[in-house]
Amino acid sequence: MASISIPVRSQDKAKSGLLGWLATVDHKKVGLMYMVMAFVFFIGSGLLALIIRTQLAAPGMTLVDPNTYNQIFTMHGTGMIFLFTIPMLVGGFGNYFLPIMIGARDVAFPRLNAFSFWITLGAGLVMSIAFLVGDRSAAAWTAYVPLSTSTYSPQSGMDIWLLGLILAGIGSTLGAVNFMVTIFTMRAPGMTAWRIPMFVWAMATTAVMVLLATPVLTAALVMLVADRNFSTQFFTTSNARLWQHMFWFYSHPAVYIMVLPAMGVVSEVLPVFSRKPLFGAKAVVISTALIGILGFTTWVHHMFVSGVSPAIERFFIFTTMVIAVPTGVKMFNWIFTMWGGSLNLKTPLLMCIGFLSTFVIGGITGVIQAAGPVDSYLHNSYWVVAHFHYVLFGGSVFGIFAGLYYWAPKMVGRMFDDKLGKLHFVLMFFGFNLTFFPMHILGLEGMPRRIATYAGDRGWAAGNLVATIGAFTIALSILVFIINLVKIARSKEAAPADPWEGNTLEWMIPSPPPEYNFAVIPTVQSDRPALDARNGGVTPAAHH
Amino acid sequence: MLSSAQFAIEQRRRTGRIGVRLFIVSETMFFAALFFAWYYLGVTSNSAWPPDGVARPLLAPAVLNTALTLISAVTMWLASRSIGRDDQRGLVFWMAASVVCAVVFMAVQTQEFRELAYIAQGSSYGSLFLFLLFFHAVRVFVGVVLMLIVLVRASMHQLNARRRLLVDATVMYWYFIVAVWLAVFTVLYVL
Ligand SMILES: [Cu+2]
Repeated sequence: MASISIPVRSQDKAKSGLLGWLATVDHKKVGLMYMVMAFVFFIGSGLLALIIRTQLAAPGMTLVDPNTYNQIFTMHGTGMIFLFTIPMLVGGFGNYFLPIMIGARDVAFPRLNAFSFWITLGAGLVMSIAFLVGDRSAAAWTAYVPLSTSTYSPQSGMDIWLLGLILAGIGSTLGAVNFMVTIFTMRAPGMTAWRIPMFVWAMATTAVMVLLATPVLTAALVMLVADRNFSTQFFTTSNARLWQHMFWFYSHPAVYIMVLPAMGVVSEVLPVFSRKPLFGAKAVVISTALIGILGFTTWVHHMFVSGVSPAIERFFIFTTMVIAVPTGVKMFNWIFTMWGGSLNLKTPLLMCIGFLSTFVIGGITGVIQAAGPVDSYLHNSYWVVAHFHYVLFGGSVFGIFAGLYYWAPKMVGRMFDDKLGKLHFVLMFFGFNLTFFPMHILGLEGMPRRIATYAGDRGWAAGNLVATIGAFTIALSILVFIINLVKIARSKEAAPADPWEGNTLEWMIPSPPPEYNFAVIPTVQSDRPALDARNGGVTPAAHH
Repeated sequence: MLSSAQFAIEQRRRTGRIGVRLFIVSETMFFAALFFAWYYLGVTSNSAWPPDGVARPLLAPAVLNTALTLISAVTMWLASRSIGRDDQRGLVFWMAASVVCAVVFMAVQTQEFRELAYIAQGSSYGSLFLFLLFFHAVRVFVGVVLMLIVLVRASMHQLNARRRLLVDATVMYWYFIVAVWLAVFTVLYVL
């Protein structure tokens, strides 16, 4: 068996203490810093959601005034998207595991990588300042013009927020370049295209989408800043749809930027915990790539009520329905992976089952509202809030927790408490459905999104109360997760290198991995190198 | 056979070139977005494009700048060829010639901005016109900075036919800047 041994560079030696973290260029430490940052913003944005749900628990509540309420849901949305989900999945999981899974010692440009993190953290701080300064309110996360222009959002909070978003975009664009070059040039010998792990394929597709979509948003943000401060005239009221086009050209693909990596995690966890190969791995790769391409052809479905010509509307209804097909293909791949497998019912698998069962509902409601006439009834109602939370919480967040439990032993070198993990899952699963399922009905009953309160005679009280109870159940589940984190920190039980009998290269190195990852760069001979190593040779492909 | 140190340099060059290409892709999307806005507003605006009362800017300075841009593309190509032949003096000469082209370009452009500043505030047309010129000019400035770094490193004999990633990156990015200018010139002045 041939293998390449490259001497470990001496400057790679870890510095200890705080300076070791601040000055690090190690992809694993950078990844962990992304995760910690993302988790802090997850807690912050989640607390804001609890304020929203408390306010809406009963009709006519005045916990916060409408202006504050607007700022809270705006910051909840931007925080969850730009400062939690994307940094956690792309910056956190991507940085930590992408290089290890392809058998590399780091990313292609480690210093640039650390720079991306610090710029992203700066973006988070700047956006938080915007929230504290205030008056970022009336425009929501979509920052539609003219609400976001100096006429309707005259104070500096809006400018600071835009600056933060520009910074976040620069950070993620540089990160995408880094990941793509890493995947192109740094794979271990023998890692041909079909042997690349599913998570890495997902990250590759995500990186392409970030690279192509983010600069368009950056251009729009810069134009809006210029309109607000230098009297340019890009987004005049008669040009309002230009903002919508540029914003959604980024923000529809952004949904896949948040979902594809989570799908990648699920595609890694399910085979390991079903003790079977991934069913139709090539179909998973091809459907991932198709989602990446089709993701750029659907953005106008957000603009059906903004006035687009019938021909254009028909085209985008069609593309929006078509993109459900590759997603549906994956659902079957995942279900048939579990089918007949000997399921290892630990927390990571449960989180994946949570992902599958909730994400499928978000997919179906997406197809329903893709139809233009249906959309014009549901647009800006609570139905939409239900839909995208089924996609982004049901999809991304369950995927994130699947990944956190799956990889926690590898990252910290200790085992988590699986009973607590299961409690976390059960509380989060029921809490999630309690919170967001009633919102479909509230939307159908005509409750608009983004309202600060509602009158008692609308018939929305029961649904809202259930949703609020659900939200606090989710909060409780996160508390259980934090307790589990504390238990992990105090645990004496060292995690083995491969606690799950994994398939991919990260399970062939110690937990936690040494700074250089691999003492000897492995040679890959199949799509399941860790399984090969356990069996002492290439495992013949199993039949399903 | 390459020694392992040479192999590492070669590997870094390959990696760096891919990185620069991908960065240029994202830069292209940025300008594509601005051109999209130009056409979108041009098509959907109810008034004329350019609007009545806004005169098209003069063609002469833009033609001069196009000529400078094309010359700089040739001098950059010659600089790149020189380092491939380990010709240090050729590298410095042609890189310096490129800097001269770029600096004259920026001088002409500054004069343009003085005269055009008024149109940005009058209309979407003027705003986009100036924005496209401005963000191209920012890239020209970055390009000049890169060229100056190349000149400093070359004068310190830190570049040669193998150790040339910095030159490659500068040349590739400059070709991109040339391409953007040709698009800007065609769309804003000719069409
Ligand atoms: Cu969409």
